[in-house]
Amino acid sequence: MSESGDGGDAILNVGVDLGTSRSSVSASNGERHVVRSYVGWPADMVARKVLQRDVLIGDDALENRIMLDLHRPLERGLIKEGSEKDAEAVRELLSHLISLVNNDDARVRAVVGVPAEALRVNRQQLRNAMSGLIDQLMIVSEPFAVAYGLEALLHALVIDIGAGTTDFCVMNGRYPTEEDQRTLTQAGDSVDEQLNQLVAARYPEANFSSHMVREWKEKHSFVGEPKGSVEVEAPVRGVPTQLDITDEMRQACESLLPPVTEMMIDLISRVQPEYQAKVRQNVLLSGGSGLIRGLGAALQEALKEIGGGQVRVVKDPIYVGSDGGLALATDAPDSDWEKLSA
Amino acid sequence: MASLRKIKRRMVRRVVDENLDLIRGPRATRRSRRLSRLFTAAKVVFLVGLPAGLVASSMVLAEAAQGWVENSRAAILRQGPAPGLVPSPWRVEPVVSAPFALDHSFPAPLPIDRKILPLVVRRVVLDPGHGGDSSGTEAPLGLVEKEVTLDIAKRLRRLLEEASYEVVMTREEDVGVTLADRADYGNRESGDIFVSIHVNWFENRRSRGVETYYLGPTDDPYLKDLAARENRDSGIPLAEFRDMLERLYADIRQEESRRLASAVQRSLHRSLSSINSAIENRGVKTAPFGVLVRTEMPAILAEVSCLSNEAEARRLVQPAYREYIAEAIFDGLRHYARGLNTSDNQRS
Repeated sequence: MSESGDGGDAILNVGVDLGTSRSSVSASNGERHVVRSYVGWPADMVARKVLQRDVLIGDDALENRIMLDLHRPLERGLIKEGSEKDAEAVRELLSHLISLVNNDDARVRAVVGVPAEALRVNRQQLRNAMSGLIDQLMIVSEPFAVAYGLEALLHALVIDIGAGTTDFCVMNGRYPTEEDQRTLTQAGDSVDEQLNQLVAARYPEANFSSHMVREWKEKHSFVGEPKGSVEVEAPVRGVPTQLDITDEMRQACESLLPPVTEMMIDLISRVQPEYQAKVRQNVLLSGGSGLIRGLGAALQEALKEIGGGQVRVVKDPIYVGSDGGLALATDAPDSDWEKLSA
Repeated sequence: MASLRKIKRRMVRRVVDENLDLIRGPRATRRSRRLSRLFTAAKVVFLVGLPAGLVASSMVLAEAAQGWVENSRAAILRQGPAPGLVPSPWRVEPVVSAPFALDHSFPAPLPIDRKILPLVVRRVVLDPGHGGDSSGTEAPLGLVEKEVTLDIAKRLRRLLEEASYEVVMTREEDVGVTLADRADYGNRESGDIFVSIHVNWFENRRSRGVETYYLGPTDDPYLKDLAARENRDSGIPLAEFRDMLERLYADIRQEESRRLASAVQRSLHRSLSSINSAIENRGVKTAPFGVLVRTEMPAILAEVSCLSNEAEARRLVQPAYREYIAEAIFDGLRHYARGLNTSDNQRS
């Protein structure tokens, strides 16, 4: 349900997690949606006639990709630079996300999460992309939005593993500074790349695409001991063939462990000594790639090196960022929102 | 619970402020020329407290003054202060008494609060290292330093201009420019900061790292001697107000150069190590590079990468990596520029 602001207009507070692979939106009317971050335009007149649409978004775009000029417009959680088409795709994606939740044509106040170390220019680009789509806009670091949504504001470390970036944010009861936040580019996409290479090396005659590899990972990813063998199907010289990719899957997923572990320990070691134990007990794993089976346990194992701790995968890791954005949007006073016209 | 609400309120406030800052762009409003800024600074220093300014002057100045005091002590005791040593309009007892306080050591220098001397960054001088016949270092792949520095500087210029900074460059094509001309150009253009971009070469080919220099004290005996001679020849700032201000300004410039170097070095290392953990943080260093000596504004020389390491050279071939370096320098400059509006007390 839309709220009513001072002016009497219906106001809809919205939190958006603009992800490289998936984007989610949570609104104050209770609507929540997740959309794959793909935007496609019919490649030619024939495709337009078949598809009967000017632009396709999310799964719709992915399923019809063969007929589309398909764009995944976000790179490392930010708008790709130098391509007008990608900037346009981001606008389409954002417009779509807002339309999914704004059924009453309300005034929209949005909080959008970006990677922790997004530069000013990146934020400005996003602001430009959202101009005209919404009424008021705040941009925040994504892991901070996650922490805010979980109310993990004191003695906590949020690790948000998305497709494009892994973001870290230490919460010390104050607004995180640049020193409290880090971004790694080792994330879901780097796992995909590695898996692609490993499977290609083992099955050189198999024919598969990056989209298939991503689907395999989303279905079977794990670190540590496998629950069983991971078998997928791909054509080999045109014949559908079962491929055992258990070892390749493990190796690709475990490639995340060294950099994430190193950064986690480094950030904890920078916390004031008397609070380090508390932070170690409150490590929160979020983001789509945080769902890799066994990842939380492996990070918890790594914490033993510095005295042990607890790593928890947050409930609802797909929506936790947009929910956090919504919480921020709701808590910001009307007087502040008035200054933040998009 | 009440405490959580308080924390949340505080954080929301910060988020709003950060976004307002993004909307408004760099808040700095630069006064017309450095000279007028210096003049304003002079007025502020004089009115707010000449004593504070002098007490806060540099270690170099302090050491030199100490030496001067030591050498002059006997003469002063015998003869008393020379007539006209401190022109009466500028006579301020605490200032004059400090070097003459025979029973006390010279007070330790205090950092200058930026509130006293409001510096801002609006115009950035970018100095792509080498050019023309001076190719700089060269990688086995055929990549030369002068090309890399120019490319990164142009990318950095775009980022800065998008963020509403004014940018001037000491060269925009493959031409040779002497160090003196580079510094003089920056001075003539009234740049607020000077950033010289270079790419390193290490004897140890496995090394790969970033380091940033500013002009400052050194252990080099030659430089120490030179600094001492210059300080002695200047008469130390008690004789003339103008001299004092120049010294004071030089002190600020050095301190600001250090801050600038730290901000850029931190950003460079953090950004580059996030995509390549092998990048070493070789730190902020002081050295007598020609452009740093001659420039009249806070100035640094950043060694943003190295061509001696083959893997690093391969990365430098990729435009995306050079863009990444430019972004890292930009972020460091932005961080420094923002900090200028914050007093030291607020920062700590």
